[in-house]
Amino acid sequence: MAEFQYCNVEREIEAYGYDSVVKSHCRMCHGGCGVLVYTKKGKVEKIAGDPDCPINHGTLCSKGLASAQLAYHPDRLTFPVKRMGPKGSGRWERISWDEALDTIAERLLHYRDTFGAESVVLGYGTGRENEAVIYRFANLFGTPNVLTAGHFCYGPRIATSIITCGTNPIVDYENHPRCIMVWGNNLVISNPDCYKGEPFSTTLDAGAKLIAVDPRLTRIAARADIWLPLRPGTDAALALGMLHVIIEEGLYDKDFVENHVHGWEPFVKRVKEYPLDRVEEITWVPAQKIRNAARLFAATKPAAIQWGVAIEQQVTCADNDRLLMILMGITGNIDVPGGQALFKPPGIRNVGHFGAHRMLPDTQREKRLGGDRFRLAGNFAIINPKCVWDAILDEKPYPVKALFFISSNPLMTRGNAAEVYRALEQVEFMAVSDFFLTPTAEMADIVLPAATWLEMDYIGDFWKRHGYILPRRKVIQVGECRSDHEMLNDLAHRVGQGEHWWETFEQALDWILEPIGITWQDFKKMDYIRGDLIYQKYETMGFSTPTRKFEIYSTVLESMGYDPLPQYREPPESPYRTPDLYRKFPYILITGRRLPGFFHTENRQVPWLRELHRDPVVEIHPDTAGKEGIQDGDWVTIESPRGRVRQKARFFAGMDPRIVSAEHGWWFPEKKDPGHGWYESNINMLTDNAYEVCDPAMGATHVRTLLCRIYPENHRGRHGL
Amino acid sequence: MSRFALIIDYESCWGCKACEVACKQENRSPDGIKLIHVSEDGPRMVGDTLDFVYQVNTCRHCVEPDCVEACPEEAITKRDDGIVILNEKECVGCGLCIDACPYHVISFNSDQGVATKCNLCHHRVDRGLLPACADAVCLAHCIYFGPPDEIEKVMEKRKASRHS
Repeated sequence: MAEFQYCNVEREIEAYGYDSVVKSHCRMCHGGCGVLVYTKKGKVEKIAGDPDCPINHGTLCSKGLASAQLAYHPDRLTFPVKRMGPKGSGRWERISWDEALDTIAERLLHYRDTFGAESVVLGYGTGRENEAVIYRFANLFGTPNVLTAGHFCYGPRIATSIITCGTNPIVDYENHPRCIMVWGNNLVISNPDCYKGEPFSTTLDAGAKLIAVDPRLTRIAARADIWLPLRPGTDAALALGMLHVIIEEGLYDKDFVENHVHGWEPFVKRVKEYPLDRVEEITWVPAQKIRNAARLFAATKPAAIQWGVAIEQQVTCADNDRLLMILMGITGNIDVPGGQALFKPPGIRNVGHFGAHRMLPDTQREKRLGGDRFRLAGNFAIINPKCVWDAILDEKPYPVKALFFISSNPLMTRGNAAEVYRALEQVEFMAVSDFFLTPTAEMADIVLPAATWLEMDYIGDFWKRHGYILPRRKVIQVGECRSDHEMLNDLAHRVGQGEHWWETFEQALDWILEPIGITWQDFKKMDYIRGDLIYQKYETMGFSTPTRKFEIYSTVLESMGYDPLPQYREPPESPYRTPDLYRKFPYILITGRRLPGFFHTENRQVPWLRELHRDPVVEIHPDTAGKEGIQDGDWVTIESPRGRVRQKARFFAGMDPRIVSAEHGWWFPEKKDPGHGWYESNINMLTDNAYEVCDPAMGATHVRTLLCRIYPENHRGRHGL
Repeated sequence: MSRFALIIDYESCWGCKACEVACKQENRSPDGIKLIHVSEDGPRMVGDTLDFVYQVNTCRHCVEPDCVEACPEEAITKRDDGIVILNEKECVGCGLCIDACPYHVISFNSDQGVATKCNLCHHRVDRGLLPACADAVCLAHCIYFGPPDEIEKVMEKRKASRHS
């Protein structure tokens, strides 16, 4: 192999005649991976992983590799448009950027003057490194309402970790944990917030033990030393069961508990309510397996928990996160090498600072939608989506008149899609910034053409908690597309916020970097900057919580009127909570297993990625399929008490036959009517979003676990069901 | 002994399909034709446990390739370094190689009317570059290119470390 080198840039340029290669930072998901972008005559020709990047070490996922197909897609929106016919008519006319931004500015100011700034809601979807500018704009505009995925994705990890131990504990893969417990996460496919599959994989190669908690047999579960196939939605009970074993058998870190934990005694009392026989009954996992997993996790040092979004899209969201942190904490794995580090970011102006949260007047903050009900969320500037739909449809507690969604497709991604549709139909004014005319964008008044990561300068991973920042360097310009950052910087001037913004967005990047004494032009020449790496900071400084301790008993939640100790809540629909419903809808439906190539609703129009997975697929156990008369490959109807959708059945024996596993995010860009089939296979036609099924502290919508029935698509006609 | 082979460590593969897209980016094979293809094997019972693995399907560049024997046009040749190349310019699209391949990794490109398969990125290898799928894209580092005996040694070592 001596004659071959990985990522041989010089030979690559020589062999293909590329004009240049730009190091940049991908953002086909939340960001993270260093990339090499090869160009010829000003066009991107090839994208590869950057071997010098400490995050992905030269590897790159399918999405990153296909980025140029996204950027140059023939259906991409490359200039601003305004709608000419009724909503959903698909009649659009090209307009100039000036007309687009002046119209948006005029509308937003009109609603602020007439109904108050809170009648304007900005929004983004999952974190795409535009959140800091969006919050800045909203806060300076005076609206407390920014609708994000934060109520049920990552926001809960940030909020609960800040109140428990000061910041989000990140697995320290660089120092190779000896045991990894992967909990409801398929990071090798999804590459989630703060994590990439590569270092996880390398850690397993170094001999780490593996525990998998997942209702489905993923490849991670298949490789695990212990697989705990829990009943969906019972994560909190399982964690409490493991904690029961760890406490009962004295496997916890006694020094850490004695010196650094707040609330040990009441917590032990709570845990005693969850003996293993009860936990087995709730979770369907045999007690002995839970015991073995708890022992392996607690006895192996260092150990870490790889977590993700699945545990957050549940009614027990905040307590799920807290319980996993308690497992990390009392086993002595917090802020130790190879455990879960509390990394320090470089000393730049951080996202919170840039987001100008302090500039929002208290009188406006008090008006945050749902702030009284979902108090932990409200404290972190996060709102629950139903609060927005209600404010549009019922004008309660006050009217919302304008929506501005930037990189968000809520019609596909939020619970109870039928209600989302009604709200988007009713709202008086809506602007969207996106790559394509998505089903959500089709309902807008004005749609702006957003830039992909290849078309912008930015400080990559600015908002993450892994301690690195990396330069994202602009490589190309496509049409009139503009980055969300440049767009909002411009719009801010048009609504009178100019004094808090910049002439060009590059000056904003300089301002962010200023405290470490460099400019964007300096940073552009660097590969990355990492914050100081110091472990066990709590030994000298304590944790950044009200008690300076690791709060397994949360004084913050207590002060907000919540149970300070974590508890298990039965899912809103389940064989035990709603047995009558279970007789009519006899399967547990789980939603949102991760697929290579797609990122939620994205990339279904990108040929190389759609080719990986053509159709929405629902996995069904062969025994269940036999009972329901379903053949492998049949289109089937999945029905919940709220609606019906169609997906294609695939036999999958790696889960309990009582479980059915469907995909999320499906629309069909190839359907040229303006609806693009948004309701046909959209799993959120089945989910509920009532306040009662949301996590009481975070407002997380319980979209992951519900009850369903499933039958061949023609069944309804044949049997007149 | 061949100088070059592409060997997959199936135990490590996560099924992420980055190799499929890396291949597309390099070879631009038409929609529906995959020169490398990841498929699921299982879940099924192995002994008393459920197992689930991924298979990575691509040309094996066989020591004695049936496709070479089957081709009446001599469009498929095995080079001295081990790489089996299907020259699409010489192919008349009879499909005999497709039937002959025991691994089902030769496809028919109906747009061009020719058979097509992985040529192990020989255009890259001859310029000192690794095949696109083997050039570090794989997050599991499970795609190896090089002399088979050297690859076996590295794989054994990694396997030992994994199960240590």
